[in-house]
Amino acid sequence: MLENMAEEELPNGFVQNTIAESNPPVANKKKRSLPGTPDPEAEVIALSPKTLMATNRFLCEICGKGFQRDQNLQLHRRGHNLPWKLKLRSVKEPRKRVYVCPEKTCVHHHPSRALGDLTGIKKHFCRKHGEKKWKCEKCSKRYAVQSDWKAHSKTCGTREYKCDCGTIFSRRDSFITHRAFCDALAEETARMNAVSNMNNAVAGNINHHFMGIPLGPNMAQHLPSIFKPNVSSDGIINPTTRELSLWTGQGSQGHEVMSTSNLQGIHQLGPCLGAMFADPFVSCANPPPSEYHLNLVFGTKLSSSSTEELSSTTSLPLSDVKETGTQLCVPSLYSTQHQSHQTPSANMSATALLQKAAQIGATSTEPSFLGSFRLKFNADSQVQDGNKLCGLYGSNTLITNIGNNAEESGGELSQIHPAKRRSTLNEDGAGGRTRDFLGVGVQPICHPSSINGWISS
Amino acid sequence: MDTALFTPKEAPLFNSNQQRNVKEAMEMQSINQPQNSHTSTSISSDSIELPSASGKWAPRLLLECARAISENDSGKIHLLLWRLNELASPYGDCDQKLASYFLQALFCKATDSGQRCYETLAAVAEKRHSFDSARKLILKFQEVSPWMTFGHVASNGAILEAFEGETKLHIIDISNTLCTQWPILLEALATRNDETPHLKLTVVDTASTVRSVVMNEVGQRMQKFARLMGVPFEFNVISGLYHLGELTKEGLGVQEDEAIAVNCIGALRKVEVEERGAIIRMFQSLRPRVVTVVEEEADFSSSRDDFVKCFEECLKFYTLYFEMLEESFFPTSNDRLTLERECSRNIVRVLACDDGNGTEGDSERRERGSQWSERLKEAFSPVGFTDDVMDDVKSLLKRYRAGWGLLLPQGDRESGIHLTWKEEPLVWASAWKP
Repeated sequence: MLENMAEEELPNGFVQNTIAESNPPVANKKKRSLPGTPDPEAEVIALSPKTLMATNRFLCEICGKGFQRDQNLQLHRRGHNLPWKLKLRSVKEPRKRVYVCPEKTCVHHHPSRALGDLTGIKKHFCRKHGEKKWKCEKCSKRYAVQSDWKAHSKTCGTREYKCDCGTIFSRRDSFITHRAFCDALAEETARMNAVSNMNNAVAGNINHHFMGIPLGPNMAQHLPSIFKPNVSSDGIINPTTRELSLWTGQGSQGHEVMSTSNLQGIHQLGPCLGAMFADPFVSCANPPPSEYHLNLVFGTKLSSSSTEELSSTTSLPLSDVKETGTQLCVPSLYSTQHQSHQTPSANMSATALLQKAAQIGATSTEPSFLGSFRLKFNADSQVQDGNKLCGLYGSNTLITNIGNNAEESGGELSQIHPAKRRSTLNEDGAGGRTRDFLGVGVQPICHPSSINGWISS
Repeated sequence: MDTALFTPKEAPLFNSNQQRNVKEAMEMQSINQPQNSHTSTSISSDSIELPSASGKWAPRLLLECARAISENDSGKIHLLLWRLNELASPYGDCDQKLASYFLQALFCKATDSGQRCYETLAAVAEKRHSFDSARKLILKFQEVSPWMTFGHVASNGAILEAFEGETKLHIIDISNTLCTQWPILLEALATRNDETPHLKLTVVDTASTVRSVVMNEVGQRMQKFARLMGVPFEFNVISGLYHLGELTKEGLGVQEDEAIAVNCIGALRKVEVEERGAIIRMFQSLRPRVVTVVEEEADFSSSRDDFVKCFEECLKFYTLYFEMLEESFFPTSNDRLTLERECSRNIVRVLACDDGNGTEGDSERRERGSQWSERLKEAFSPVGFTDDVMDDVKSLLKRYRAGWGLLLPQGDRESGIHLTWKEEPLVWASAWKP
């Protein structure tokens, strides 16, 4: 059907260019190519916005009736009692089709950056240039694509945020406010300084992969994009991955429970991560991006052990959680603002971010907003992080790896926060008992306690 | 009589003469028990019945006492004060707490020692006040109750809307929430689609010098956080003002090319009632894009000449507040205790101190949203909150325990939204433009 239309220019806006005549690509197992770098021999199709969003793309040539799916169209055609010849669809092997975005200002408008999938281009167009009709109930975040919204709704409220001081939050707004006042903030600034150079080098890939750790000072602006689906310009990467990159599984109160739920979380992350790693965009290939979110995952796991200890030593935190049980929802209060404005910002490339960084100047102290998650930037530590990677893919070794990593991270932590530990020891007479295996006092400066992070004093 | 209840360091407020009087009154009462006494008009066996297990005895007794004071019925006053003292405790249930704190105010009113009592309480609180304790308290309160965060979310939403597209922002913050409103706003600014604007935050602090130490610390944190967020930021504190009327455009550092927002959270009620109009006009002179006003919904000002009526209002408001605290915090929470103690100062201030007595910017005479609206309409016109902001507020309330609700303005004369607790409006948030 579409082949027939290819031959002529139709009034409803189908215009086609042909890049080159060619042999059709290999029909079996198509490899996913880079997003936005189409097969040069593919046929470029430019649809108008109206056609793109049209729900009935498949038209019956006999009566002109439109259908959403090809199968439905075929079913309908049978009813026309076509002679045998016309019954079959055109034998000609369809050329690979790629689609450009109708929006002129969009990077994917140019044929060289066309996207290979019609569904993909539809989603892209909606996300970037469309009206955001779908809104999350819990956090007011807006989405243009229904599937994105659904995916978000599943994970909304289940995310956890961990501050440097050790407190865990289920609510994003509480986390942000706490972070702003947290004593850990000062230390963070100093530490981030040291690694800022290296980060800038890999900044180029971060934007696309969104592993959730902003590197430039304005990476923070991309932060909430962790929670949004349309972070990079490619439509291929499943939006859920970005969400899940911070999603560390359900908050829980016991180590046991935590590990199972995290395992689940990680398994879910697994395939997504797989997609991302297979994606040659990460050609710079530094694990740093992935490390960040792996660390996020582990971060919570690590802290869970401390939570467990707390739970066993005092009953207050648990009951606190019970009483404030409704505080599950998480994301940004201003997510709507984010959403409505983030469309272009996601397009902001890493170079723009670096420019901003230069502009802000003194912000070379750029700490990542999420520096709260234990980050290991150093190339040296790649080995240990390699462990984590393995842990991720070799799923069973997960728990054991945590143990290993904990030692190292514990060491690092102890170096960074010796002052804190001392002070907490002074405050808390039972210091030794409440330390977790990281060797860090469970009651850091901000006096966190339960999952929600609060002990009634 | 237990006088340690009131002020830890003061001399017994009841001197021995008074104590004897009370004793005599009690003895008289017990002698007269069989027949209704005619010496005092309303003391009958009913009014001093033992508190029943059910029923709220505190409001009843307290109101009786308030009436007695306004009628100057000293016998009854003594009796009721004594009775209340027996039953009151700042560590008990809601009734006992209310009895305790209101008793203190009643006592001060009866003995005309309100001013002294207030100053003592304030001094004691100052000594205990530190950045760490204030931070911990305020963050905890925001965690368990949307009392403050409601106003924050609504105000931030209105401010962001008004600042759409602006690059030089200047927020004049006159609040009692220690800048906990701003991290969320900074984050929102950092994630705006266009260039991150420059934000100047000028905090006006009308409290005493001790508090300015805290504000310095707060300022440092804000600056660090803004750097973290990548928002160009400037922070100023204006302190030591006798009262808000002294603010001027130059004093605030307002520049012509800046987009101004004035953010008042719990601030207008601290202005003496007669001066409120002037303050609003001063805000108008700054030519702000938006003025956000958040106040607690209670009327202590129109009834300020009528002690009993004012007392009733006060009691009603603080009963709700204490109940809210009780249900939001953990039962043995120290933070809640601290918040309750802060109330005691305010209660004494409203009920037992005369206005315009020279105490710095702490009038505490609240007005209802409708009353503030009347005042604000002289200089500004109301701006409704957009759907997005309303959605944000609704999502916020969902993050807390059940019982919180939202009341939209009814009718044309009303403006602003109310936070309700068990259907009672308690906090009012509004936005205004010139």
